[in-house]
Amino acid sequence: MKSRITNKTFVLTAAIGSFMIMVTVIANTIWASRQTVTGTNEAVSAVSSFYLEAMADRRAKIITNLINNNFNQMQKVIDFIKEEGIEDQEALRRELGRMKSLLSLNRLALVDEDDIVYTQYSTYTGGSRHEFLADKKMKDRVISTVSVYGSSRQLCLAIPLKGLTLMGKPFKACFVQIDIDDIVDLLALDDEGRTHFALYSSTGGNLSDTELGPDILKNNIFEATRIAIPKSIWEGMQRDFVNGVDGTLTLKFDETEETLCYVPIPGTGWQMAILIRGSVIHDRIQAISESNLSFSRYQITFTLVALFVFGAILLWQLKVISATKLEAEKETSRAFLSMANTDSLTGIRNKHAFTEMENALNDRIRSGELKELAVVVCDINGLKHVNDTLGHAAGDKLIKDGSDLLCEHFKNGSVFRIGGDEFVVLLVGKGYETREESMRDLNRQVEANISTDEVVISIGCSTLEPGDEQLHDAFTRADQLMYDRKKELKSMGAKTRES
Amino acid sequence: MKKKEIKKTFLKGLGLLGFLVLVCGLAFLLSGWAQYLFVEDVEHDVQASVKEEEAPKNLEEAVRAAVDFDHELDSYKPLKNDYKFYFTYKTVHPWWDAVALGMEDAQRQFLNKGINITYEYMAPTSASAEDQVRRLKEAEKAGYDVIGVDVADEDVISPVLDEMVDSGTKVITFSSSDAASGCKRIAYVGNTHNYEDGVDLTEALCEKLGYKGKVAILVGSKGAPCHEDRALGAKHTIAKYEGMQIVAVEYDMDSVDNAHELALKILDETPDLAGFVCCNMSNPVGAARAVTEKSSGAVIVGMDHDREALHYLEKGVIYCLGVQDCYSIGFDTLQLAVKIADGNLPGELFPEEKAEPTTIIYQNDAPLMLELLYGDIS
Repeated sequence: MKSRITNKTFVLTAAIGSFMIMVTVIANTIWASRQTVTGTNEAVSAVSSFYLEAMADRRAKIITNLINNNFNQMQKVIDFIKEEGIEDQEALRRELGRMKSLLSLNRLALVDEDDIVYTQYSTYTGGSRHEFLADKKMKDRVISTVSVYGSSRQLCLAIPLKGLTLMGKPFKACFVQIDIDDIVDLLALDDEGRTHFALYSSTGGNLSDTELGPDILKNNIFEATRIAIPKSIWEGMQRDFVNGVDGTLTLKFDETEETLCYVPIPGTGWQMAILIRGSVIHDRIQAISESNLSFSRYQITFTLVALFVFGAILLWQLKVISATKLEAEKETSRAFLSMANTDSLTGIRNKHAFTEMENALNDRIRSGELKELAVVVCDINGLKHVNDTLGHAAGDKLIKDGSDLLCEHFKNGSVFRIGGDEFVVLLVGKGYETREESMRDLNRQVEANISTDEVVISIGCSTLEPGDEQLHDAFTRADQLMYDRKKELKSMGAKTRES
Repeated sequence: MKKKEIKKTFLKGLGLLGFLVLVCGLAFLLSGWAQYLFVEDVEHDVQASVKEEEAPKNLEEAVRAAVDFDHELDSYKPLKNDYKFYFTYKTVHPWWDAVALGMEDAQRQFLNKGINITYEYMAPTSASAEDQVRRLKEAEKAGYDVIGVDVADEDVISPVLDEMVDSGTKVITFSSSDAASGCKRIAYVGNTHNYEDGVDLTEALCEKLGYKGKVAILVGSKGAPCHEDRALGAKHTIAKYEGMQIVAVEYDMDSVDNAHELALKILDETPDLAGFVCCNMSNPVGAARAVTEKSSGAVIVGMDHDREALHYLEKGVIYCLGVQDCYSIGFDTLQLAVKIADGNLPGELFPEEKAEPTTIIYQNDAPLMLELLYGDIS
C-alpha cells in the first residue's frame, strides 16, 4: 500500500524540522556562550600575566634605551671636547652648556683627578657627593641610584675617561644625572588608572614615588605585600629583587586579588613592577563576554522572529500556490468536463452529459426525492433529406436552428443533444410547471415553420408516474409520443427522412 | 486619607533624618575636640624644638619645618645679568653637599629670570685653615664678584678676611661658622646659635641621664667656630650639674673614622661612660658605631642629618640630633651674594646675620626625617 504525502504532512515536517533546527541553534549558542565565559575566567589569570609582563618589559626597555642613549651621548660629548682643545674653565663651562642643550642631557658634568666636578654653572669638590668617585680610578661604566638630600632621586650614569686632559689636569669621569621623576613621565601609562607601576630598589624601596595600586601605595613593596602572599613566595620575591630576576605573583588583599609582575632593569639594580587588579581584566573580559552574550541573545531573538516571519511567508505562499494550483486544476477539470459534456456543434450538453444526469436523477427518483420531472424527447424532421440534398453544412445549420429553438422555448429546462437529430429536454421546478405552455408555443412555432421551410421538431413529453423507477420509463413514453407527433406533422406537410 | 498617611510618613522620615544629622554633627564636634586635646598632649610630649622661628603647631610640622625645600627668590632685582662667585668651606663632607643643593636651586631660579650665575664651591679633603687661606688668596686674585667662606678657624681666617675687605673684595661668611666678632666681612648666613645648640643638646642628655654620670665631648675641627661653640655650650651646661663630669674632649677633624676610633678609646678608658655630646656631623656616627660595638649604654646626643646617624636615631642608639637647615643656608647664601655683588650693604634689604634654624629631633621623628631627606631606598 503506497502512502501519500499530504500538504499537512509536509507542513508538519517543515514545522518540526524548523523547530528542531532552531532549538539546536539556540542550545548551541547558549552552550558556546557559557563555554566562552568559563574559558574566559580560566584565561584571565594567564592573560593578566602575559599582559603585565609585556607592559613591564616594554617599560623596562624604555629605561634601558634611555640609559644607553645617555651613555652614547656622553661619549659624543667626550669626543667633541677632546677635539676642542679647551684651555680654561669658562670655555669648558660654555662647551658643557652647549653639549647639554644640544644633546638634551640632564645634569652633565666632568670630573678631574682631584674629584672636582665641572658643570655648566658650577665647579665643586664632589668627593662626598658622588659615590662613584669613592674609587680613585674608575674602571668601568657606573649606573647608580642617587638619593639626593631632599628625598628626590636620580639615576647617575658615569663613564671613565682615559687620556682626557683639560687645563693641564687629567680628567677621570664624565657623568649625567637624570631625575627619576622625568623617567616616570616617560613611563606613564595611559590606561585610565587600570594598571599601576612603580620602580623599586633591590631593598623594595619605592624609587618612582608612584602608587602601586590602592593597597601597596608608595610603601616599601616587601613591607606592603607581607600579608598578601605566603611567606615562601614573599621571600622568593625578595631574592628576585636582590638577584635581578623577574616574576609574577597574585596578591590577595582582603577579598581583592591583584596580579603583580616585576622585571629587572639591567644595570640599575631596579625592578619595574606593574600591578593590575584581578577584577579589572576579569571585568573587562566579562564585559566583552556579556556584550557577546547579549549579541547572541539578539541573534537568537532575531533568528526566531526571522524564522517566524519567514515561516509565515512560506506558509502563506504555500497556501496561495496550493489555492492557485487547485483552482487551475479545477479549471482544467471543468474544461475537460465541459468538453466531455458539451456538444461541439450546438454548444448544448451532449449524450454523455445526459447519461450522467440520467444516472444522478435515477438515484433521486428511486429514493423518492424527485417526483416532478418531465422528459421531452425531440427529433428534427427531414435532417437526412437536407444532408442529402443541401449538404452537411445545411444539415448542421438545421441542427443548430433546432437546438436554438428548443433552448428558446425551454428556458427553464436542460436541453441535451443525444443523437444526430435527437434532443432531450429535462424539466424540473419552474420548467416542469410551465411545460405545457412551453410545448404549446413550440409546437405552434414548428407548425408555422412548415410553411416557411424552417426547422421542424417533433416533440413528445412525459412526466414521472407512480411506479416509475427510472427516467428511462418516462423517456420511453415521451419517445412514443414524439413519434406520434412526427406523424402528425408529416400530415401537416412537414418534411420527412425521405422528402 | 492615603495622602495624609503619606504626609505623616514623610514628616516622620524627615524628623529621623534631622535627628541623625544632629547626632552626626555632635559626634563630629566631639571627635574634633578630642583630636584637639590629643594633639595638644602630643605637642607637650615631643621635645622637638626650633630656635629663631615660631614653634610649629605639631610634631610632624616641626620635623618638616626642620629643612625647608620650598624656596622662592625674593623680589630683589639684580643689577647685572652675570655673576661669578667663589665659596669655600671647611672640608669635603655631605653636610656641605646639602648646602650646595640649596645654592643650585637658587642658581636655577635666577637663571629662569635671565640671571646667569656661575660659581665655585670648593673645599679641601680635610679641614685646614692654611688651605683655606690659600684658596681665599687665589680667589681674591681671580676677581670674583663675591667670595663666601665657611670659616675653618676664626683666629686664622678673620684677619685674612679683613685684609680682603680692606682691599675692596666683597666677602661674606656662610653655613656653620662665622668669622670672629668684629671681622669686617659684610654679612653672614647660617647657624648663629651654635653655642645654644650645644647647650640644648647637652640639656637633653643631662635630663635623660638624671643629671648624673660621666660624659665625653666629641668635637669636629679644632678652631672651627661652630664646633668649638657647641662644645663650649656643652661644657657650660655640664658644669651646672654636680653629678655630671666631663671625662674626655676629643677632635675627630670631621672624619667618621676618627670619631669611631676616638669613641672606642673613650669607652675603653671609661667603661661606665654615661653619654656622648657630639658637636658635628661625623661625631655621632662614629660614637654610635662604637657604642653598638661595645654594647655600651652610653647615651648619644649629636648634630646634623647624616643618614647613618638618622638610622641610629631610629634604632634608639642615638638619643637626639640637632638638624640644621642646610638647604636654606645654601639658597639664602647665593641670594645674599647677588645683593652684595650689586654693592648693597646690610640694612633693610638684608640683615648682617641671617640665622637659619636648628631643630632637635628624637627617635620618633627619625622615620619622617629619613623620608624627607633621603626617601625610602636605604
